[in-house]
Amino acid sequence: MPPIVAVRDLRKSYGKIEAVRGISFEVAEGEVFGLLGPNGAGKTTTVEILEGLRKADGGSAVVDGIDVAKEPMKAKERVGVQLQQSSFPENFTAKETVELFALCYGVTVDALALLGQVDLGERAGQRQEKLSGGQRQRLSIAAALVNRPRVLFLDEPTTGLDPQARRNLWDLVRKIREAGTTVFLTTHYMDEAEVLCDRVAVMDSGRIIAMDEPRALIGALLGRGFTKPVIQQQANLEDVFLDLTGHELRED
Amino acid sequence: MRQTLLLTFMYLRAYARDRTAMFFSLVVPLMLMVIFGSLNLGAFGRVSLAIDDQARNPASEQFAATLRGISTLTIREVDQETALVQLKRTELDMLLVIPRDFAVSPSRAGQPVPTLTVYGNAARPQQVSVGQSIVNEVITRLSFAVNQAAPVVNVKQEDVAGVRLRYVDFLLPGILGVNVMQLAIFSVAFALVVDKRRGVLRRIMATPLRPWRFLVAQVLTRLVLATLQVLILIGVAVVLFGVRPVGGIPALVLVSLLGCVLFLTIGFALAGWAETENQVPAIAQLITLPQFFFSGVFFDKSAAPDVIRPITERLPLTILNDALREISVQGATLWDVRLNLLGLLIWTLVGYLLAIRFFRFDRF
Repeated sequence: MPPIVAVRDLRKSYGKIEAVRGISFEVAEGEVFGLLGPNGAGKTTTVEILEGLRKADGGSAVVDGIDVAKEPMKAKERVGVQLQQSSFPENFTAKETVELFALCYGVTVDALALLGQVDLGERAGQRQEKLSGGQRQRLSIAAALVNRPRVLFLDEPTTGLDPQARRNLWDLVRKIREAGTTVFLTTHYMDEAEVLCDRVAVMDSGRIIAMDEPRALIGALLGRGFTKPVIQQQANLEDVFLDLTGHELRED
Repeated sequence: MRQTLLLTFMYLRAYARDRTAMFFSLVVPLMLMVIFGSLNLGAFGRVSLAIDDQARNPASEQFAATLRGISTLTIREVDQETALVQLKRTELDMLLVIPRDFAVSPSRAGQPVPTLTVYGNAARPQQVSVGQSIVNEVITRLSFAVNQAAPVVNVKQEDVAGVRLRYVDFLLPGILGVNVMQLAIFSVAFALVVDKRRGVLRRIMATPLRPWRFLVAQVLTRLVLATLQVLILIGVAVVLFGVRPVGGIPALVLVSLLGCVLFLTIGFALAGWAETENQVPAIAQLITLPQFFFSGVFFDKSAAPDVIRPITERLPLTILNDALREISVQGATLWDVRLNLLGLLIWTLVGYLLAIRFFRFDRF
């Protein structure tokens, strides 16, 4: 099966700053692929080139068989997008927001059903700007699903969310993957990558410095003789926090 | 088409929920109209008098010079034909025609007595009566100075029916123009800068929606609002103040919308240029405030200092207000104001070039 995302020697500079310095990778259909790295590593630039929002200086990006640079509109029709630090027009309800995006793709959707899928059925009539951070992230995923995308791009989907909302979003990502959609996400949370991703690529200073399954990367590290002081602890503070406050989502 | 119209509908629905925006685009203009419409500004001030000196002799020049020295009078030298047109438009209160045979010196027996003709604007009776008595007074003084006798000049008075122009009649077109300007520049610049900064535009650009469709929807949204605003203002002026737009309401609405398109291009340019919404009010005020005062909104554009008149005469809002006023007050047709419409078109082109220079989707 051909890869659903294929990137070859991709390059992008902003003035003198080389944000992406010739990276190559492939994403197989149906997997959750994670692009990891510290802030400023070039993750967002890479994703935005794949989404058709930025033009690469060199190399190629192919999504679902379409060269993004040559046919950006056609490529946009095939992908779902959740941007980092983006928001929706004000004075639209959650339902109207989903309908607005359906209109942008020229498709009709059952907005209520889609909102139900992301646990926002009860918030359909509420203004989107009044939703909580986690709710807004889920709304943004619902809006990204209106066109039944072949690949869903999530750029730091859990940044700024509380532990409950993060775990809830992880469940949602798994659900989307089970429904057959490939998920391409960026994150700088390693625990997130470890539990969600089938494969990860680690990016630093515009280059990919490692790429494999999370377990394999950990295995390789241990194989190089890495050890860290083992603390006999069956739980961590996050477990305590979740035990005290519960797993259910806070809807405020 | 359907996509663009649906998009327009969605944005209008969202706009209708925004109370602040509704307040500024509908309630504030209404308040301005009602407050200024109730004031009786411009009822009396100076008397504008045109002189057509057909004699051009020392006596007539002395006469005109004396009149010029009287501060109540604003004198212009215009030929009779032009002045009569201006009188009808109430751009002038009086016209004084000095005949070829004018003389203040005593006439010999049998010589015809020169006749001064004074045309007064019947729509401005107060000004005319003041002007009339000044003219009579000057003639009397001059003849006494010459021959210590009563004047031997006849003063013939004629009435010209000018448009009965009340302040509110003058005001309506100005209010229409200024509100269309404010709506177009402020609503687009604010909304789009906020959308730009918060990543809304980027998010929409990540969909296959064609950018021009999004822009057309934004323009249509404002045109619908502007139409609503203009109709409400005209409605209030007609119902509350008895204003009668002589040239017809459709022409007024149409010209207002042309003005709206012009100012929208400037709004888009501003939205493209500004990085944050804090920069918008400063630049928007810089653009709109001079026009607010110099373009004939609340008072005549001739109030602008002479030095800057060549500039203020060519400001977009001046051109728009002139056209609206010609239609509303003088009953001009669209063809009559074609030069103004051409001016609006040229400004729209300038605005459009600025907009495509600054409003770049690929930068958002």
